Amino acid sequence: MTREVSGDMTKSNLFSKIKDFIHSDAFIFLLPAIILIIVFYLIPIVVSVYMSFTPLKNWNIARYIHEFVGFENYWRFFYMVTHDPTVRPIFITTVVFILVTLAINVLGGLGLAIATFFMGEREASSTQLLWLLPRMTPIAVYSMIWYYFFHGSAIGTLNSILMSLGIIHKPIDWGQSIIPWGPWMIIIFVNGLVGVSYGMIVFTSAISNIPKELVIAARVDGASNWSITKNILIPLLKWHIVYVTTWQMLSLLTTYDHIFLLVEWGLVNRYYGTTWALYIYNMAFTAAEKDLGLAAAAGVILVIVGALLGLLALKILGFEKMVKEPRGDI
Amino acid sequence: MSAGLRDIELRSRKTEILIVVTVLVFSIPLILGYSLLILSSFSKEMVTNLNPRDFIPTLRNWILFFEGRTAVFGGIRVNIWHIVLNTLIVALGVSFLVTLVGSMTGYAVSRLRFSGRKKFMALLMLLHAFPGSVMVVGIYFLYLMFLPSYQMVRLYSFFFVIVARASLEIPMATWLMKGFFDMIPWEVEWAALVDGASRLRVWRKIILPMVKPGVAAVMLFGFLAGWMDIIYVRTFLVDQTLATWIESNINAEYSYLPLVAAAGTFYLLPTIIFFLLAQRLIFTISATGVKG
Repeated sequence: MTREVSGDMTKSNLFSKIKDFIHSDAFIFLLPAIILIIVFYLIPIVVSVYMSFTPLKNWNIARYIHEFVGFENYWRFFYMVTHDPTVRPIFITTVVFILVTLAINVLGGLGLAIATFFMGEREASSTQLLWLLPRMTPIAVYSMIWYYFFHGSAIGTLNSILMSLGIIHKPIDWGQSIIPWGPWMIIIFVNGLVGVSYGMIVFTSAISNIPKELVIAARVDGASNWSITKNILIPLLKWHIVYVTTWQMLSLLTTYDHIFLLVEWGLVNRYYGTTWALYIYNMAFTAAEKDLGLAAAAGVILVIVGALLGLLALKILGFEKMVKEPRGDI
Repeated sequence: MSAGLRDIELRSRKTEILIVVTVLVFSIPLILGYSLLILSSFSKEMVTNLNPRDFIPTLRNWILFFEGRTAVFGGIRVNIWHIVLNTLIVALGVSFLVTLVGSMTGYAVSRLRFSGRKKFMALLMLLHAFPGSVMVVGIYFLYLMFLPSYQMVRLYSFFFVIVARASLEIPMATWLMKGFFDMIPWEVEWAALVDGASRLRVWRKIILPMVKPGVAAVMLFGFLAGWMDIIYVRTFLVDQTLATWIESNINAEYSYLPLVAAAGTFYLLPTIIFFLLAQRLIFTISATGVKG
């Protein structure tokens, strides 16, 4: 009897909670965001999960959508990852891409933030401007710039520099002939420069919040740049370093637009230049036979990996600290 | 807002020059890449091979570009202004929607107490970890499910691409606006609420005008997100934008590369203009958007 009552209570609690929410001020303000999040984040993920259990091909929804194949797409994906020489490279490429680019992003951003700290105002702002450019440049233009830079013929900038220095005698097709390091170098370089600016922005603003007195006192005591960096800046930036690392790791796991163009334009090898996220997109939209069941299965696994890493990130960062309760409400 | 903490005058001039030079050395590829693209757009041959003899100054690429001639000899003509207009529509649409939704949601999470507030903010963080390519697959499924009649498809695709692309920016816009709302003193709002104004009215008439820099920043980021997008545009939009035009022209057999360089330079212009306007803003924002 008591159990029934408490069961009723929790049910009506949840119900009244929702009712309260709908009648609260917050509901009106949150409604547009809630609708967009449901339609463009949650439903697409549910649809992807559904698709991963169907043999859907070439977007022929009417023909395939009512057929079920169970976990076949998942087994197929695992089998391809372990046996198919055209799919196997994707994993190692994704891992190498994330780890190396992440290191470049975090260390580069930290380096730039600290370097600009020791510069005059004007030099600092020009440096920041220059390094923000990759992030603000239209993806097609940015990819185009590196397309010419790493081009495999004599028109490529890297080739012509090395040739005029006499280091190489004929142009090297960096992205296609030096497997796997060539394509890896190019995709890491291209995305590395985009990501550096994120760390730079976060670290620069964090440094600007450090009390001036600390640095002035250290200077008066005769501290060098290096010891100011090591003993004051880095320890105070610890939280931000963790923040940028985790955030950037998630970004790199899911990014694919620059690489998409580099692969499409043939600058980098299709197999050693494709990451997991791009593989899904290409399988669904550009492959000759669009195997959507397979793409969706690969996607669902990626979502799970991303969500786990995301939850881990929230835990590491101490999410509670980031969201203070609003002060007062009438 | 002040420029923030700088190192004080006691540092030596010599080490400063050393640092500047080191940063410059690392920046060489970046400077080289952008300069060669822009130079090539004014030359008869691509100058990416750094050969000064290939630099033959000409305005022909730009003239060809504005005439919509993708090939030197005839070729298919496209109305480039139409493509620019398409790009602009997407950019402005995304900018508007992101600003509206971002400033509403940002206000709610900054100022209002509601059950599930923390969970909602955690969700916003987690949305960032959602892989874009998986979402595009699901979104394309929705796109096909609601495909209208043949005459309406182009309009529908514009609408769809704007809403879908804007959704992608909502977590960013919310966190950013929250930072700006957090800085406004509570007293202003209390006064208005005590006088009996509704929340919506207070938000629109009193609070929003106080966060103009934040609104400007979100508008700007929204615009650039829509302007630079390629994946959503190439997947959903029936018409071409500058991004897809460049995508299809860069290694097509008929294309004349310096012309593509001109198109790229043109596509880059708003970025540079907006960037110069917003440079100060970007660093003020990040101080508020992320825990300081």
